[in-house]
Amino acid sequence: MATPSKTPPGADPKQLERTGTVREIGSQAVWSLSSCKPGFGVDQLRDDNLETYWQSDGSQPHLVNIQFRRKTTVKMLCIYADYKSDESYTPSKISVRVGNNFHNLQEVRQLEMVEPSGWIHISLLDAKNSPIRTFMIQVAVLANHQNGRDTHMRQIKIYTPVEESSIGKFPRCTTVDFMMYRTIR
Amino acid sequence: MTVLQEPVQAAVWQALNHYAYMDAVFLAERLYAEVGSEEALYLLATCYFRSGKAYKAYRLLKTHTCSTPQCRYLLAKCCVDLSKLAEGEQVLTGGVLNKQKSQDDIITEFGDSASFTLSLLGHIYCKTDRVAKGSECFQKSLNLNPFLWSPFQSLCHLGEKLDPDQVFRLSSLHIPVAPPPPISPAQNPSHRLDTALMETPQDTLELNRLNLESSNGKLTSDSTVSYIDSSLISPDPCSLLANTVSMGSTGSLLGKPNKPKSGRSLLGGPAALTLCLQSVSRIGPSKSVFGQSGNGREVLPIPFSQSQGSAPHSSTSPQVLSPTLVAPPNIQPRRSTRLFTSASSTAKENSKKLKMKFPTKIPNRKTKCKAAKTANSNLNESLDILKLDSSMNDSKGLSTPGYQSITLQRAATDMVLYMLRELGRGYQALCCYNCQEAISILSSVPAHHYNTGWVLTHIGRAYFELAEYTQAERVFSEVRRIEAYRVEGMEIYSTTLWHLQKDVALSALSKDLTDMDRLCPQAWCVAGNCFSLQQEHDIAIKFFQRAIQVDPGFAYAYTLLGHEFALTEELDRALACFRNAIRVNNRHYNAWYGLGMIYYKQEKFSLAEIHFKKALSINPQSSVMLCHIGVVQHALKKSDSALETLNRAIGIDPKNPLCKFHRASILFANDKYKAALQELEELKQIVPKESLVYFLIGKVYKKLGQTHLALMNFSWAMDLDPKGANNQIKEAIDKRYLPEDEEPVTEDFLYDSAADVEESSMTDADDSQLHTAESDDVL
Repeated sequence: MATPSKTPPGADPKQLERTGTVREIGSQAVWSLSSCKPGFGVDQLRDDNLETYWQSDGSQPHLVNIQFRRKTTVKMLCIYADYKSDESYTPSKISVRVGNNFHNLQEVRQLEMVEPSGWIHISLLDAKNSPIRTFMIQVAVLANHQNGRDTHMRQIKIYTPVEESSIGKFPRCTTVDFMMYRTIR
Repeated sequence: MTVLQEPVQAAVWQALNHYAYMDAVFLAERLYAEVGSEEALYLLATCYFRSGKAYKAYRLLKTHTCSTPQCRYLLAKCCVDLSKLAEGEQVLTGGVLNKQKSQDDIITEFGDSASFTLSLLGHIYCKTDRVAKGSECFQKSLNLNPFLWSPFQSLCHLGEKLDPDQVFRLSSLHIPVAPPPPISPAQNPSHRLDTALMETPQDTLELNRLNLESSNGKLTSDSTVSYIDSSLISPDPCSLLANTVSMGSTGSLLGKPNKPKSGRSLLGGPAALTLCLQSVSRIGPSKSVFGQSGNGREVLPIPFSQSQGSAPHSSTSPQVLSPTLVAPPNIQPRRSTRLFTSASSTAKENSKKLKMKFPTKIPNRKTKCKAAKTANSNLNESLDILKLDSSMNDSKGLSTPGYQSITLQRAATDMVLYMLRELGRGYQALCCYNCQEAISILSSVPAHHYNTGWVLTHIGRAYFELAEYTQAERVFSEVRRIEAYRVEGMEIYSTTLWHLQKDVALSALSKDLTDMDRLCPQAWCVAGNCFSLQQEHDIAIKFFQRAIQVDPGFAYAYTLLGHEFALTEELDRALACFRNAIRVNNRHYNAWYGLGMIYYKQEKFSLAEIHFKKALSINPQSSVMLCHIGVVQHALKKSDSALETLNRAIGIDPKNPLCKFHRASILFANDKYKAALQELEELKQIVPKESLVYFLIGKVYKKLGQTHLALMNFSWAMDLDPKGANNQIKEAIDKRYLPEDEEPVTEDFLYDSAADVEESSMTDADDSQLHTAESDDVL
């Protein structure tokens, strides 16, 4: 039986941010975890540091809840996972659910990862292929590698598409000549 | 006691002159402990203030009564520096609650430093929202002293329409009506100069009394001579000055017994400059209009060098006697202040290039060691002066060389004032946003003035306001080359680079400035712009907040912060920031624009229009602003006025592609397809690589039913959008086919049909050329 191919790492989300097409909006949300070991909690999950991580401390599934103040358009979720450093703590099956509140969640994506070694991009698109609008997102870790109980997650980023240009309901302009006159700064 | 003070005071001033603040402070503290007089208090406070410890000067002056105008002025200055505006006002005018002095009272009280006092007061009024009073103070200050730039600048910022030709002009008003008080505020360098001059002979007299008794015998015989000379020349202020310097006495000024001090204040304005100009004319080689400090300094030892010669010296001393005749009661205090002020004038390093080396000469004379060194440098000047003196003494009247030097001085003063007028006109035009005019005025100044940081920065700013960013960038890079230490105006440069998206230049600028000066807001604004360009808005926000911390009165930092919040969709905080910017500077049109933009995003179109119009009223020639107003009016369904506004915008700046684009889109919305297409075709020629143009053309064709052309343009638009497909374009293409076909069309199919369409349209020469150009670029 052929070994399943390893999940390739995605591009660094910072590059995506620099294109100006997406914006990280994790700071606009309230983050909570189903369980965590002291010193390995939300702060470590959101500190932009790949060395620190969240370690769960309960029963599966381990949950990361992201709640926004208002209904937000989200385009993409990026998770950093590294099998080489986390081994059995590395998540292998992740489910992403969205909804209005805890009782209203519906799964939109489920993915399996095999020995990931970098950023995993999870695009959140609805049936019409446009970014979903939601109040709450829940990332559930259903299983780990080597059947580990607890999980490590090093970093999560959530992205929204950048709104169109400041004036007019048109898509973004592409040339500098246009963009120069777009706004007074 | 007064005798004991003199060498110590001289030593203190010398230390201040050489920026040896620790020495100055130490000596001044000892002097104050010894004497405890107000002059010593003022001296100590000055030492503290100049060494950068305004709080020490403030506390010192607060705890001790200061009645002299100079002490009060210094206290007020400390208050303003420490942001205690109410207290500063109280010191100067008696406060809001007590009976306030009028500005005329202030003028009479402060005498020669009235112009600076009024300028400070105007600053306080403007900061405390009493703009009318503030501008009045500034006007008066300028009337008294036309060489002050900061009141003029403040008035321009308030939006006042001044006439620089009237402002920067010597007038008869420079002879004040009321005589200023005997104790003159020493902050006014010119005043100090003339008091020193006046006091010079007294001082020499004093020293003579101490050291040389013999010279007094010669006094009476020469006194009439010098007195007559002075009285003959007295009407002309410049000649008065010439006379003063050459004879080393201000006895001429005292020749008017009614107004002994008027001559002093006379010297306040023009005299200061004429004196230094005279020094320039004497010294010769210096080409600068403003005499350099070194030159200025060298003028004054002349009295001393004269004093070393017996004949000219004796001429100085009789002048001293006249003040005693004229105003005996004033002698005692005047002498003490004289000793003090004469010393102070030497010490004022920031003076209008008038330095009195007078006190430094006192120890020199005593020690006789430094005299030789300093005397050598002054030798030429003193020789010149001596020659002139002797000629003046010989002729006993208006001597021709003296008269020539006077006309030279006059010419030099006129040139300075001419420069001020020109720069004033240019600055005024810029503040009213008549940018083209500002550029033409500022570009026509002489080359050696043009190639300075100030002029080029303001020209760059004028280009920036016209949205000619490439020109602005060129000018600003020149500024950086000439004056790498200049930070004023660098925030405009950084925004220019932000618009042009030159990230390398911007990050280099940011690094340079933050390394050079971490305490100026402009450096942090540049850093913030740099990160904003890199789309790292959180870091940009942090830097803009730092700029605000460093200087809460810097309006542009608030505006930029507001823009960053708007980009991160935190619209409430953005609104607060823009409002703060307007609080700091009511005429900051960028902040008004920012408010309008936020309201537009929130779809509050009428509010948006109001704010945009307010911004336009401040800056009426901004085509970008007109463009935005046009779009908002269209959103408010006022399409006709929208089109009119856009026509105006295009009239002002035909190079603005967005105006044409929005005009085309409004025409399209009003179903005027042909006109829209024509507009867009023109736009295509101007900006051939812009995907939005093709997108709109495609929509127009779609409406016109020419599906193949529509599809072609949509595909071009998608190709030109390198950062990934815009959803809108994709939707537009998809929607095109939905009414006709049942099943949704896949992209592959679209591209195949587009390819077919492209082949069929190869016959159209223009389009094909454009198309081949595109396909090359796409790869």
